Amino acid sequence: MSEDVVFKGSRSGLQLIFDETVDFTSILKQLKTKLESAIDFFGKGTIVNVAIDKITKEQETELSILFQRYGLTLKAIDTSLPKVSELKSEEAAVEASKEITIIERTVRGGQEIISNGSVVILGNVNPGAKIIAGGNIDIKGTCRGLVHAGAFGDLTATITADKMLAMQIRIADLIARAPDNLETVDTTECARIKNGNIVIETVNRQEVC
Amino acid sequence: MSEIIVVTSGKGGVGKTTTTANLGVGFAARGKKVVLIDTDTGLRNLDLLLGLENRIMYDLIDVTEGRVPYKKALVRHKRHESLYLLPTSQTKDKSAVNSQQMNSLCNELIKDFDYVIIDCPAGIEQGFQTAISAADTAVVVTIPEISAVRDADKIIGELGRAEKDNIKLIVNRIRPDMVKKGDMLTMDDIDEILSIDCIGQIPDDELVVTSTNRGEPVITNPVSSAGKAYKNIVGRLCGENIPFMEIVPEGFFAKVKKIFKM
Ligand SMILES: Nc1ncnc2c1ncn2[C@@H]1O[C@H](COP(=O)(O)OP(=O)(O)OP(=O)(O)O)[C@@H](O)[C@H]1O
Ligand SMILES: [Mg+2]
Repeated sequence: MSEDVVFKGSRSGLQLIFDETVDFTSILKQLKTKLESAIDFFGKGTIVNVAIDKITKEQETELSILFQRYGLTLKAIDTSLPKVSELKSEEAAVEASKEITIIERTVRGGQEIISNGSVVILGNVNPGAKIIAGGNIDIKGTCRGLVHAGAFGDLTATITADKMLAMQIRIADLIARAPDNLETVDTTECARIKNGNIVIETVNRQEVC
Repeated sequence: MSEIIVVTSGKGGVGKTTTTANLGVGFAARGKKVVLIDTDTGLRNLDLLLGLENRIMYDLIDVTEGRVPYKKALVRHKRHESLYLLPTSQTKDKSAVNSQQMNSLCNELIKDFDYVIIDCPAGIEQGFQTAISAADTAVVVTIPEISAVRDADKIIGELGRAEKDNIKLIVNRIRPDMVKKGDMLTMDDIDEILSIDCIGQIPDDELVVTSTNRGEPVITNPVSSAGKAYKNIVGRLCGENIPFMEIVPEGFFAKVKKIFKM
């Protein structure tokens, strides 16, 4: 299916972005499928922002009802004039990232986990799977999917995996791509931001958590 | 106790229909009463593989829409008398049957049959959801290629979401020459991603194609290596502990280990 609807982490929170040229009923349908496939994974009460100038009042109501059914809260925000109060300060982002979601299985291709807080995966993150967390991501297994920690701007967020084979790692606004000849390291690795760059270091599990 | 098995894959053309036909003949050869349901509506070809094309009178849609009782639509196999096919329509599309209809049909069938085996269409759309809805066991077929393994991974995720937890893996079309050269995913590579119970490794075998053309599944051919692999799968599905055949000489995986970017 085409991806006309995406959830994206941004400094002001989780953002719903959709293709405005596509018919709104089709958008709703795709959104529903998406929510259904990710539903066990959204932390309850997760706030999703949508740009107010992109939707009509009726559409806002429809979206609100749909979101409510999945335990999410819709917030229409004016993206053209970002009010300071709307933007989460870095401290606020760090605060939100304290709650922890634990997933006790492998996250397979096509599945998404989205959480305002930190995420712990007791299993692998397979190619084509996606983890977006406001806080840290800790994978007690092999990571081959797309992982985004500190998605709302927390620069102190980390990504840890027993085996880090991700094609791409994101922390806050930074992106690191795997080298083309990826070497497998048999120890736990941890990615964090140091001096404005994402660095990956081997770590001792005991030290991490 | 009766069992409902769905054969599925995600990626098309990896051997679902071939597997369905062979499992059907294999169970029937053990004296089990088996019905195969073709749910690949619009593209039916399970009837061809079984050499039954010219005997079809009614189809799955006639049954689910209540035009005929299912017994009228069943086609009995020519040689294996306890094997039946419930063919599908070539003119309707996959939304013509829904999960509820599938469930009630299967509930009827398990009263009369030991095994109900459902051949699933490729993809994860409604046809897939309908095909898996009644199943107790899902057999996921893949081939040793990255794209097929990734699709199998997605399918396993979808099966989990539908609370189908009894999932078995079959790896089809293994080419020993390519595995030896390190040009094909090994069983270890596949297991690392999918990590589900494997019940079969089937070599690529020309006899699969020639037997398809004759309408007689390869499992009945005693000289075919794929046929033997299918016999072993039937045994394993019956709960027997059968060691895997050696497709690639042992020790090879250890020596030639190439890292694939899955
Ligand atoms: N082990 C094998 N060796 C050689 N050829 C094979 C083998 N398994 C399957 N094939 C061939 O691959 C082709 C596709 O097989 P099949 O129709 O069973 O796949 P399918 O998954 O049902 O496809 P579809 O998704 O279109 O329904 C057929 O031509 C079949 O003969
Ligand atoms: Mg088929």
